Amino acid sequence: MTEVRVPLDLWAEDDKTGSIVVWLYPDGATVKEGALIAEILVEKTTLELYAPASGTLKINVEPEVVIDKGQLVATIM
Amino acid sequence: MSRILTMARAGREALDWEMERRDEIFVLGEDVYNFGGIFGTADGFGAKYGPERVINTPISETGFIGMAAGAAMAGMHPVIDLAYIDFIGVCYNVLLNTASKTHYMSAGQVKVPMTLMIGTGGGYNNAAQHSQCLHATVAHIPGVKVVYPSNAYDAKGMMHSALRDPNFVIYLTHKGTAGVGWMGTPLKTTLSEVPEEPYTVPFGKIAITREGSDVTLIGLGMSVHECLKAADELARDGISAQVVDLRSLAPLDRDGLFAAVKKTGRMVVTDEDYLSYGVSGEVIASVVERDPTVLRSAPVRICTPDIPIPFARSMEQAILPLAARIADAARKMVK
Amino acid sequence: MPLTPELRREMYRQMVRSRAFDDAMIALYWVGKTPIFAFANGPLPGELHCSNGAEPVGAGVCAALDADDMITADHRPHHVAIARGVDLNAMTAELLGKKTGLSQGKGGHMHIYDTRVNFASSGIIAEGMGPAAGMALARRLQKRPGVALTFLGDGAANQGAFHEVLNLVGVMKLPFIAVVQDNEWGVSTSKKESTAVARNSDRASAYGLAGEYVDSNDPDDIYLAAERALALARSGGGGTILELRTARLAGHFMGDQQAYIPEQMKQTDPNPVYRAKLIREGVLSEAEAAAIDAAAKAEIAEAVRLAQEAPYPDPSEAYDHVFAETVA
Repeated sequence: MTEVRVPLDLWAEDDKTGSIVVWLYPDGATVKEGALIAEILVEKTTLELYAPASGTLKINVEPEVVIDKGQLVATIM
Repeated sequence: MSRILTMARAGREALDWEMERRDEIFVLGEDVYNFGGIFGTADGFGAKYGPERVINTPISETGFIGMAAGAAMAGMHPVIDLAYIDFIGVCYNVLLNTASKTHYMSAGQVKVPMTLMIGTGGGYNNAAQHSQCLHATVAHIPGVKVVYPSNAYDAKGMMHSALRDPNFVIYLTHKGTAGVGWMGTPLKTTLSEVPEEPYTVPFGKIAITREGSDVTLIGLGMSVHECLKAADELARDGISAQVVDLRSLAPLDRDGLFAAVKKTGRMVVTDEDYLSYGVSGEVIASVVERDPTVLRSAPVRICTPDIPIPFARSMEQAILPLAARIADAARKMVK
Repeated sequence: MPLTPELRREMYRQMVRSRAFDDAMIALYWVGKTPIFAFANGPLPGELHCSNGAEPVGAGVCAALDADDMITADHRPHHVAIARGVDLNAMTAELLGKKTGLSQGKGGHMHIYDTRVNFASSGIIAEGMGPAAGMALARRLQKRPGVALTFLGDGAANQGAFHEVLNLVGVMKLPFIAVVQDNEWGVSTSKKESTAVARNSDRASAYGLAGEYVDSNDPDDIYLAAERALALARSGGGGTILELRTARLAGHFMGDQQAYIPEQMKQTDPNPVYRAKLIREGVLSEAEAAAIDAAAKAEIAEAVRLAQEAPYPDPSEAYDHVFAETVA
């Protein structure tokens, strides 16, 4: 199992939070390592989240929920 | 299950694919190089293709869109980002008299293959000069193809079609459907499974977005999604609503429209553009001039009334063609 | 290329061809329009904007061009089209709305297209600015040679498109020349009334372009100025506003009596002036000049005869060419 966390360097400022805009694969989908799996919005900037491993995506955090850098948002089995 | 894309990503994927393979395609517009366009139509293209093929322009639409038409006449295929359709007033002559008429006036000697991407629509409190749809204002011009995808699958397929078309194509996207960051989280019904490989969606064919038998709800751009919401609401009342997505205004699929309306005998036509002299009247005329007897009741239009778009949320929400108004109209009609 | 006797004879020939064409069109234009004038009457219907007096512009600039260069012209295109080598028979037929016309009767006299010689014209004032700049951009992207020129009147120099495009040309350093034909009149409004500066070429400094004014309406001077502008463009030095003092002897359009032009502003016909100059300088003999004049008249007469004999397009053809065919 691989944890999918918001990379610590995805945005610079530590005091800012973001939210998932859209998951680009549904819960339970098979994803490949390196695939773009979600868009994260921080203020007006859209950032990208990539799959750290191949496997089955299990989504933990739905869109429009506040997230921090480093937060666990999904796992890949 | 394959991956899901937003409309913005899907359209961009098609543009990227074509641009990688065809040197004649280049992008120009305000803020396309650093920003990838205000609505992300060319996000990341500046770094990938360089300033020769992703050309930042001054705020000078008459100048650079006229220039695009000339580049098209000389064998290129420019792709222009005009962020807001409210800005067509400052370049309308190029649309009205140059790009649309040169092929005709030259009896086919000169082709003008260019794709003009424009964002439309309101609903996000941007007031009277940044919220208009105006699609009828461009679809009225002969010699222009006007297409209007409302979901990611069509956004990709219609972008491939536009870039392979030897004519002037206006590719409209309602800003609220695009799925770009600063418009909030995208509407679920705009997201689609999108194949990785290229494909085309032909112009001039409606889509039946939802099957139904009691009433036909007809929409385009954002109003398709309001129709879908209305159909959900109507289903709870036991009314089966069919939803039609026009997808293409010019050419308009009059045959497809007629068949769809004939199936239910009732139509509610929705349009976020102004009510008068617009798409809604054209849709109704297309059906009734062929055979008025297919209708069991008078058609109804749910459109933005003929007033400038107000700023305050309380007023704007009241005038937009939203699901509740559409469902009300359908309920009255079916009763 | 230097200003050789051959070149000067050729420029004279083009001026005479253009004048013979316009004179023939004017004669045809009045057929059926007297005593009751109506645009739609006669074999040459619609509006007609003739180039009489501006022939040195077309002849002088086009003599300096290469085959790769591109032109957009305006509602008064004949002198430029003819000097550029647009198919004269097909152009004549187009003015008469015939099937054999350049645009098969869909264009008329303001909309002259001949892709063989990279020529296009259009009827909206300053509309050719953007397309010409775009053609120049296309050639740059295609890594092919070619300078784009747009021909327009001094009345067009107050249009937004003129200024927007000149700024873009300056920013992008495009190989582009705006040929401003200063005939002092925008329809019935004088340059003095409409333009804040005496010379539009002075506006070049606002856009980082070169500006040159030629006040003689003499094709020798025009040719040399065009050569300078073309050399600058070809060397990557960018664009020029080339403003040429010229004449508009036949009014804005047919039917314009030009009563608003005061006596002291009456314009001089450049063609006899140049003819006399070439004879005086020994470039042409009187007999050679007369032969050129006669040949031009005969060529035009034949073009008119062919056009008159040609069929009109079938009404159903109105529906053709709205769109180019989409290849699946």
